[in-house]
Amino acid sequence: MPADGQQPAAPLPGTQDLLFEAARRLRRCEAALCRVFEAAHYAEVIPPAIESADVFGPEAFRALDRGGRLIALRADFTAQVARIAATRLSGMSPLRLYYRGSVVRRIAPDSGPVYERLQAGCELVGAAGPEADAEILSLASAAMSALGLRSARISLGTMGYFAALVQAAGASERLARALSDAVDRKDLPMLRSLCEREVADGPARKAILMLAQPPRPQTQAAQLLAQAESLAPSEEARAALQRIGATLRLARGDLEIDLGEVRGLGYYTGIVFNLYAPGSPRPVGGGGRYDSLLGRFGDPRPAVGFSLDLDALAPLLET
Amino acid sequence: MLTVALPKGRLQRPALERFARAGITPEEDLASTRRLIVPAGASARFVILKDSDVPLYVERGTADLGVCGLDQVLESAADLLAPVDFGFGNCRLCLAAPRGSKVAEEAAQDGLAAARPSLGVELGRSLRVATKYPRLSARWFGQRGVPVDLVHLSGSVELAAVCGLTDAIVDLVETGRTLEENGLVIAAELLAVSARLVVNRAAYRLKVEELLPLLEALG
Repeated sequence: MPADGQQPAAPLPGTQDLLFEAARRLRRCEAALCRVFEAAHYAEVIPPAIESADVFGPEAFRALDRGGRLIALRADFTAQVARIAATRLSGMSPLRLYYRGSVVRRIAPDSGPVYERLQAGCELVGAAGPEADAEILSLASAAMSALGLRSARISLGTMGYFAALVQAAGASERLARALSDAVDRKDLPMLRSLCEREVADGPARKAILMLAQPPRPQTQAAQLLAQAESLAPSEEARAALQRIGATLRLARGDLEIDLGEVRGLGYYTGIVFNLYAPGSPRPVGGGGRYDSLLGRFGDPRPAVGFSLDLDALAPLLET
Repeated sequence: MLTVALPKGRLQRPALERFARAGITPEEDLASTRRLIVPAGASARFVILKDSDVPLYVERGTADLGVCGLDQVLESAADLLAPVDFGFGNCRLCLAAPRGSKVAEEAAQDGLAAARPSLGVELGRSLRVATKYPRLSARWFGQRGVPVDLVHLSGSVELAAVCGLTDAIVDLVETGRTLEENGLVIAAELLAVSARLVVNRAAYRLKVEELLPLLEALG
């Protein structure tokens, strides 16, 4: 009850109550996804809602427990699944795990209000090959189909390629961030001016300038990759391109290739992708390969996965 | 069908000229109509809004693309693609202070792009700065280690420094005449601004067949 001068109780900004049909839709969306994940032989894990803060990055909402230990609300399922896989499930490969639940994050790391999002996703642990990348991409695509989102698209890129280009260009951390930001915003004018000012002329610069190109459909992928390979300034860059080519040949779904797809969680090392569906102004999910995350928990094994944004997906479902 | 967010004000006419060259022309004269949604053939329509609202409409997907100054793109912190620099609407986001003031003199010594943490130190307190761009200003001063007390105003920003509400202002400067007539001088340049095309992230992927030819024609 609002006392004198107090505001009536309402959900905090960045959170919401889902009522009636909206709640029903969300549960239906979640159930349909779980059926797809189960059918692909992924098994559910339910990690706790709070963890030691060092499992997550600075975007996590943190607090001190009674013993003065820094704990955090779950900000990312993948890090938790990696912790589980690297500890109690150590040595069991491959692992196919899925999860569902909410994550709580700050809008910007270390600042701003917190928000909550409902997610469901899959992680394939202990498999390093392009077959594993393709399995995850195909599963993400099957999940979209199961929700009836037939015009959904997956935009596929590779972190490895961008990292190799930045290294070949000898870019500082600050410049790498600025380049990544310009590539992510398809800001060719900014990318050009950064390159002209701070990157020596050569194959690395030419390759970086190509990153702001528009995405290409899967049918034109071979052509784009061949063009990029002819400019590849290092063995790592070439390897990353060949790897994405191999993944594309194996994956099913409406894929498009975008070498400028550099947005993803900080721990991605290989392929990175985002999912788009008509009706949602932001990506409805995304994923990638993270071959060094499990090592943080003492069991260095490769892994790849994706998560879907149920808050974005549920409204798109037919009633 | 593409929805284009078009700003009122000085960017509108040059933007319309560029869209016309790309084959998209509004069916009504925007200068005289009071309608806020104006069709432009079968393939597009314009929505007319304040330039500072353009990033939000595009980020949330109500408009697929839009035109606004780089200052608005960055100040809004909206999550957008910005693939084209139109090259019109050129101006600068500047720090300006009253002519002869310590802040103006100190900044002039450091050069236009720089500022030292000691800027305004003789005030014995944080530098007071009025602006319509609190986010961009906070970042610029923050990166340079200058403690600043930002006063967020919505118009006539120059007045703040003239009347002594603040020590300086951060505002757009096109010709510099308004500053001059009010006894202010440019102390530093924060950002070179021009009109940008902004595109919604999902629209860029999902309407790529419609968008790409347009982007090419506009760029």
